[in-house]
Amino acid sequence: MRDQQWLVALAFVAPGAIALVLLRVVPAVDAFLDSLQRTSVLRQTTSWVGLQNYVDLLQDPGFRQTVKVTAIFSLIVNPIQILTALLIALLLHKVLPGGRVWRAFVFIPVAVPAAVSTIIWGIAFQPNGLINAFLDVIGIGRQPFLTSPQQAMWSVLVMLSWIGVGYWMIFLIAGLQDIPASYYEAAKVDGAGTWRTFVNITLPLLRRPLAFVLVADTVSNFLVFAPIQILTNGGPENTTRLVMFDIYNKAYQVGDVNLAQAEVVLLVLVMAAIVSVQFWLLNRRGVD
Amino acid sequence: MHTVKLRLRTAAAAIIAILFILPLLWVLTSSLNPGNDFLRYLSPLSVESFVPLRPNFANYANLVQGDFGRAILNSLWVCFVTVVVGLAICASTAFGLSALRFRGAGIVFGVVVLSFLIPFDAIAIPLANLFRDWGLQNTYTGLILPGIGNGFTIFLLRQFFLAIPRELVEAARVDGMGWWGVFTRIYLPLSRPALVGAGLTLFLFQWQAYMWPLLIGTEPAKQLAPIALANLQGQFTVDFGQIFAGSLVLTLVPMILMLRFQRHFTQSMTTTGLKD
Repeated sequence: MRDQQWLVALAFVAPGAIALVLLRVVPAVDAFLDSLQRTSVLRQTTSWVGLQNYVDLLQDPGFRQTVKVTAIFSLIVNPIQILTALLIALLLHKVLPGGRVWRAFVFIPVAVPAAVSTIIWGIAFQPNGLINAFLDVIGIGRQPFLTSPQQAMWSVLVMLSWIGVGYWMIFLIAGLQDIPASYYEAAKVDGAGTWRTFVNITLPLLRRPLAFVLVADTVSNFLVFAPIQILTNGGPENTTRLVMFDIYNKAYQVGDVNLAQAEVVLLVLVMAAIVSVQFWLLNRRGVD
Repeated sequence: MHTVKLRLRTAAAAIIAILFILPLLWVLTSSLNPGNDFLRYLSPLSVESFVPLRPNFANYANLVQGDFGRAILNSLWVCFVTVVVGLAICASTAFGLSALRFRGAGIVFGVVVLSFLIPFDAIAIPLANLFRDWGLQNTYTGLILPGIGNGFTIFLLRQFFLAIPRELVEAARVDGMGWWGVFTRIYLPLSRPALVGAGLTLFLFQWQAYMWPLLIGTEPAKQLAPIALANLQGQFTVDFGQIFAGSLVLTLVPMILMLRFQRHFTQSMTTTGLKD
C-alpha cells in the first residue's frame, strides 16, 4: 500500500522533475564542465585546464568592458525604472476620472515582445524617425541616439523602461491598494502632511512589493539581449556590450565556447544569488 | 479630494498615459500607410502620424503572403502546445508536491527551487549546445521543450494547491476516489484562476521568446514570428510598412489576452506570498 502511494506520487511529479533537471540543471552543469576545459579547433582535442578559462576571462579587456557596462547599466536602469513605476503607481492607484483607461495605457506596452519593441524604437530613434521629429517641434536639434557612444545606452534604457514600468507599476498598485484607508485617516487626524504620510505609512507598508520589484527588475535587466543583438551589436565603441550579448558573441561569433561557458557560469552564480533573495521574500509569509 | 487637486492629478495621469500609448498609436497609424509613407508625416511632424485618415491595408496583405504569415502560424502552434503540455506537467508536479506525502518530496521540491534560481536566458546557450547534440535543432520539439518545464509556474500552482482544505481530499478518499480523481475533479476545478495565470505565463514566455528561437531554429520553414520580424528589418531594402504591420500583430495577440486575464495574472502573482 505504501509502495503503491509512492509510485502514484512519482507518476505525478516525474514529468516535471525530469523536465526541470534536463532543461535547467543539466545545461548549468554542462556549462560548468565546459568552462574547466579547453577545446582546440585546430588539433581537435579537448583537455582539462582547471580555472584557466576564468583567469583568461578576468584578464580579457573585452570582458572587463562588459562587466563595467553591465554594472553601470544596472545601477542606472533599476533605480530609474522602479522610481518611475512608483511615482506612476502613486498617481494612478487612487480613483480618478478615466482612471482605468490611464492605467491600461501605461500597462499595454508590457504586451509588446522585446524583439518588437526593439524594432519599433529602432525606427523611432533613426535620424529621420519619430523622436527627432518631436525634437524638431520643440526646437531641440536632431540627435544621433543609437550611433552615439554617449546616447546609445540611454536610448536602450528608454526603450526598456517603456515596457518595464507598466509591469512593475501593477505590483506596486496592488500593494498600495492593500494599505488600509484607516491608516491614512489616522495620519490625517494627527496632522501629518503628504510627505510625512508617505515616509511613515506608505513606504514601510509597501516594503514587500517594492523588494520584490527591485529583485525581479534587477534580474530582468541583467538578461537584456534582443535590443543589443538587433540594434547596436554592443556598439558604438562597446558602450552597450551587456553581458548576455557578450556571451552570445563569444559563443557564436568568436567561436570560443569554453570562454563563453565560463562567463555563463559567472552569470548563473550572480543570478542565483539575486533570485535566492527573491525566493526568500516570496516564501516568507506572515512573518511580520 | 479637492477639485483643483483632482483635476491636476487627472491631467498628470492623462499626459503620462498618452506618452506611453503614443508609440503604439504611431505604429498602428504607420502600418495603415502604404510602404514607407509614414516618413512623410514625420518631417514636419503631423497629426497624420497618429491618426490614420486614409487607412490602407496593403501592408497586412503583403505581410501574410510573405514568410511572416507562416511564422505567425508557427508561433501560435508552439504557444498552443506549450500551454497545454506545460500546464499538464506543471499542475501534476505541483499536485504531487502539495497533496501527496512521499519520500523524496524534499528532493523534488529542491529541484524546483534550484531551477527557479537559474533564469532560462542565462543557460540558453549551453542548452542550445546540448539540443544540437540531441538532434533537436530545427524541430518544433526543440522550440517547445524549454517552455514546458517552468519552475516558477510549478511553484505558483503549488502555493495555490496548498490552500485547498485537506478535509476535502480525505472525504473524497474515504468515498473511494483515486488520486487521479482528486487531481482532476477537486484540485483542477478549484484552481481555475491560478491555472489561467499559469497558462498566461507559459504563453507569454513562448510568444515573446527571441533568443531561444534564434539559437535553435534557423530553418525558414520553422521560423517564429519575432525572428521573421527581425529579419524583415535586416533586409537590404526595408519595407517599414510591413514591419509596422507585423509589430502590431505580434503585440495585439498578447495584449488582448493580458487585458482580458490581467486580474488572474496579478492575483496569482500576489497570492504567492507578496501579500499576507
